[in-house]
Amino acid sequence: MKISMKWLGRYVDLSDINAQDLADKLTLAGLEVEGIESLAHGSNLTIGQVLTCVDHPQSDHLHVCTVDLKDEIVQIVCGAPNVAKDQKVIVAKNGAVLPQLTIKKATVRGIESNGMICSLSELGVAPKYLSEEQKAGIEVLGDDAVVGNDPLAYLGLDDIILDVKQTPNRSDFNAMWSVAMEVGALLDREVRLPDARIAANAGDKTNLKIGSTTDACPTFYGKVVGSVTVKESPQWMKEALMAVGIKSINNVVDISNYVMVETGQPLHFYDLAKVPHREIIVKDQLKGELKTLDMGSVPLFENDLVITSNDIPIGLAGIMGGDDSKIDENTHGIIIEAALFSPVRIRNTSRRVNLMTEASLRFQKGLEPQMPDKAMHRAVELLVELADASDLEETVEYGKPVLNKKEVAVTHRQIETLLGTNVELGQCVELLRRLHLSPVVAGETITCTIPSYRLDLSIAEDLVEEVGRMVGYDGIQGKLPKMETVSGELDARQKQRRKIRALCIGFGMNEAITYTLVSKAKIDNAILPLGEAYEILSPLSDERRFVRVGILPSLLEAAAYNLAHKAKDFMLYEVGSVYAKGKQEERLAFVLSGNLTQSLWQKHSVATDFYTGKGIVEAIAAQLGFDANRLRYTTPKVALDKFHPYRSAEIHLGKDRLGIVGEIHPKLAKELGVGALILAEINLEPFLQQKATKIKYAPLNKYPVVQRDIALVIKTDVSAGSIESTIRKAGKSIVKGVEFFDVYTGSHVEEGSKSIALSLYYQADDHTLEDAEISEIHQRIVSALEVELQAKLRA
Amino acid sequence: MIDVNTLLIEGKAAIQAANDLTELQSVRNVYLSKKGLISGLMLEMKNLSNEEKPKFGALVNLAKQELEAAMDLKTKTLEEEAIARQLESGKIDITLSAHAPLVGTLHPLTIVQQEIEDLFISMGYTVKDGPEVERDFYNFERANIPQDHPARDMQDTFYIDMEWLLRTHTTAIQTRALEEYAGRTPVKVICPGKVYRKDDDDATHSHQFVQIEGLVVGHEISLADLKGTLELLARRMFGNERVIRFRPSYFQFTEPSVEVDVSCHICGGKGCPTCKGTGWIEILGAGMVHPNVLTMAGFDASKVSGFAFGLGVERVALLKYGIDDIRHLYTNDIRFLTAFRRFE
Repeated sequence: MKISMKWLGRYVDLSDINAQDLADKLTLAGLEVEGIESLAHGSNLTIGQVLTCVDHPQSDHLHVCTVDLKDEIVQIVCGAPNVAKDQKVIVAKNGAVLPQLTIKKATVRGIESNGMICSLSELGVAPKYLSEEQKAGIEVLGDDAVVGNDPLAYLGLDDIILDVKQTPNRSDFNAMWSVAMEVGALLDREVRLPDARIAANAGDKTNLKIGSTTDACPTFYGKVVGSVTVKESPQWMKEALMAVGIKSINNVVDISNYVMVETGQPLHFYDLAKVPHREIIVKDQLKGELKTLDMGSVPLFENDLVITSNDIPIGLAGIMGGDDSKIDENTHGIIIEAALFSPVRIRNTSRRVNLMTEASLRFQKGLEPQMPDKAMHRAVELLVELADASDLEETVEYGKPVLNKKEVAVTHRQIETLLGTNVELGQCVELLRRLHLSPVVAGETITCTIPSYRLDLSIAEDLVEEVGRMVGYDGIQGKLPKMETVSGELDARQKQRRKIRALCIGFGMNEAITYTLVSKAKIDNAILPLGEAYEILSPLSDERRFVRVGILPSLLEAAAYNLAHKAKDFMLYEVGSVYAKGKQEERLAFVLSGNLTQSLWQKHSVATDFYTGKGIVEAIAAQLGFDANRLRYTTPKVALDKFHPYRSAEIHLGKDRLGIVGEIHPKLAKELGVGALILAEINLEPFLQQKATKIKYAPLNKYPVVQRDIALVIKTDVSAGSIESTIRKAGKSIVKGVEFFDVYTGSHVEEGSKSIALSLYYQADDHTLEDAEISEIHQRIVSALEVELQAKLRA
Repeated sequence: MIDVNTLLIEGKAAIQAANDLTELQSVRNVYLSKKGLISGLMLEMKNLSNEEKPKFGALVNLAKQELEAAMDLKTKTLEEEAIARQLESGKIDITLSAHAPLVGTLHPLTIVQQEIEDLFISMGYTVKDGPEVERDFYNFERANIPQDHPARDMQDTFYIDMEWLLRTHTTAIQTRALEEYAGRTPVKVICPGKVYRKDDDDATHSHQFVQIEGLVVGHEISLADLKGTLELLARRMFGNERVIRFRPSYFQFTEPSVEVDVSCHICGGKGCPTCKGTGWIEILGAGMVHPNVLTMAGFDASKVSGFAFGLGVERVALLKYGIDDIRHLYTNDIRFLTAFRRFE
């Protein structure tokens, strides 16, 4: 919202305070000033009079002028088409700094030029305030301009505008009057507001009918002003409106805008002649359409508040008037509308038709119930003063609001306790008085009578805030809460989550965070989708329409991005929640690309492969209390189009499927333009929900370990896993380790078979194994392999 | 007699002349083996008189000892030389590139989040999590934001249906925590998590971001307690010289409400582009918990009070690390992520 220092200065004396100081005060009191700007900029400007003006001999459009600046007469070359002898003009003297340029003595096509005759755009006035004529040429000042004076002051452009950010609770700051009250309280100065409390009381009997068929319009005041003169607004009003960003139209329209800025109450004026039925009824639940001033016809929805006359829509309440009843130069009489509309309804309609007007923005923030009345009086006063208003009829009041006296009490102790600082009772009372809250003290208790415009004050804490912000929060000395000491810590789940992250970075992975909201494609491509995805009612875009049911599609996208940016060897992981209807699960996903480790000049490298991925999963599981032998791997039955069918595995923990790990399906890799990435998506819930396990130390086994190697020829499809479990079953607890050290297919091994070599480690827990004992166990194992797996022992 | 001395001199010369252990062995064979020259001299003893025998024998023994000593010394020297040569032959270029173990990185948002969590854990706070897909009830209603309130306009929401939405702030975790405590004090919780608002993504906005909110409820908790707590936070995140200031503001959850500015860590408060010339950077929203919020959760608002604050982790990360675009945090460019491997 824009606040004009000049406008504000009409109500509170600001003559001795500069804009920055006022801005700081307002900011620290809660009305944050985000910017301070001048309407027009330029140093070294003066009013000059053109004494002579002749064409430049070397140019078809330049003029050579001599200009009287009072103290001197200078020669200026001017390119504006409208410059002429005797005009009073704005001159930027040598050394002047304008928004776009600095003026220096120059020679223009052989002729010396000392200064520039300016247009308003050259002084930084925004084009929206300028007529075509003003945009095309220099500004020609009136005859009353005094040569040698400041042209910005003459034009009323010497105003400073504060751009303030209003908090939603202070909708009263929509009114310049309310801002003035605040400034008066902050500076402890008198505030003089226009008093127009009776101006609209005058009026003859009327046959105007005003009404509403919806409780979304509780109050509506209408008044016929039978005769007005539409003309140009006085200069002061034009300047004032321009300062707050509103373009001057004519005196009547300008008055409605001016009163809106003063009071925060948007008004609407209808051309009396164009509302022949002399009836205005606010309705909703209408169908059809409305022709508007600015945007053609708008279809009506049932929750739109519509102004109707004789059942015909003539305006979108609080947002935009209709074409048929607007004020123009032929208007001779008007109907004034001052009403209250539901902020929510205005907000919804304004959004739907994508039209934010000065009026709709104010209605949305909410208005004081008494404001239509005050604004009506003020508008009538100005219409009489500036638009020769006469033939007034009495005001028709629909739903006149009841003025309830609102009292709020607070104790001195409450103020000091909540603020945590000492403020004397007398000072509290004085500050509340300055805010016009009429404080009355009885013992410890201060009771305030809240003015009708302070909609934000209703509980004791609100008054504490008023005292706090007036005293200034700077004075509060920080301390720490005094309370019972409790130990702060992470819960088991949070600790496990941190461990998982620490392990992942320990393995050399980089943590990624991707978006939770994803496209339909990413839902469809999810690995082990948690369930049916939540869809957002009105998403920002299709890219962000669903809540993710898996992490990998987004992580794959990140991997593809990195590969496209020339990264080859990297490992990304993400820990995060996925959601589906009625479900939530925390997951780990990772993508491995290229080499796990390499030293180029030493010519050795280890590529990431299925076993790297499996290793990471097992290491995390083991660190979180699930030994590798509790995990089971099976050939995948899901995500068959995402994973290489023979280089991936479903991972199980007990009966539950934990996730899936493996190499990307070559078809998907090609689609994404990536190589043979290793992917995994794991449900972390079993790890996170696990109660912390106790580490129990077992004494080191002091008996010797005996190693026996064997080589087998076995059918290709017999897995290492089944060989190991056969060995362990046959050898029982004596078998302490099984290590595969060679797997070979090719020449010297018959078709359909493979050669496998492994080391077996035997050790008893309570004695040294005898040779005979070892041989017996070993033989039992070999027999089991031969019988159960049809393995042949190689010589 | 002359033979022994000559042999000794020649033998020593031969030992000295040996270039390596093999040559030295040959010399040993020539002089000191069973059939070597020294043994040969011993054979000559039989030709000597009984009188001469002991003298000659002593002489030969002496020569033998001397040769053996010289031989040992030479052996040692040659062995050392051999080791030195072997070592030298194994010389490497120590300036060639190293083969470093892999070191991963936490995401900068995780780093900042954990740092803040740890600070508050050290002050006795408990960390609370909550669901990102949340009920309207916890996100809005219990946060004192009733239906149709303009505050719901300020933070446009990703609704799933009338009841469910993506939480717009971690206040939803606070309202759950308050319900859990059900009137018991002290409440000291810190609530981190992802939140979502309908903002178009650009350099300074993200529809998804991480928020951390803190909540303390107890006896006579005041704005001064809030200030002291946030001063600690500001100093931990931005350096010991930081000061903070409160500006009155408005949030539904708190009354009074304040915006919290931290003195600029770049210019120290003199004014620079980072703080837009003001010397202050807005970093937190905070305030005293609204009595409605306490009452709704079963606390007696006339007996206890509390403070709450919230900050955006992205904003802290951007300021702390000088990141120029919030979208970098969600692009997961490996070059960006690996920049955060240094200990701080």
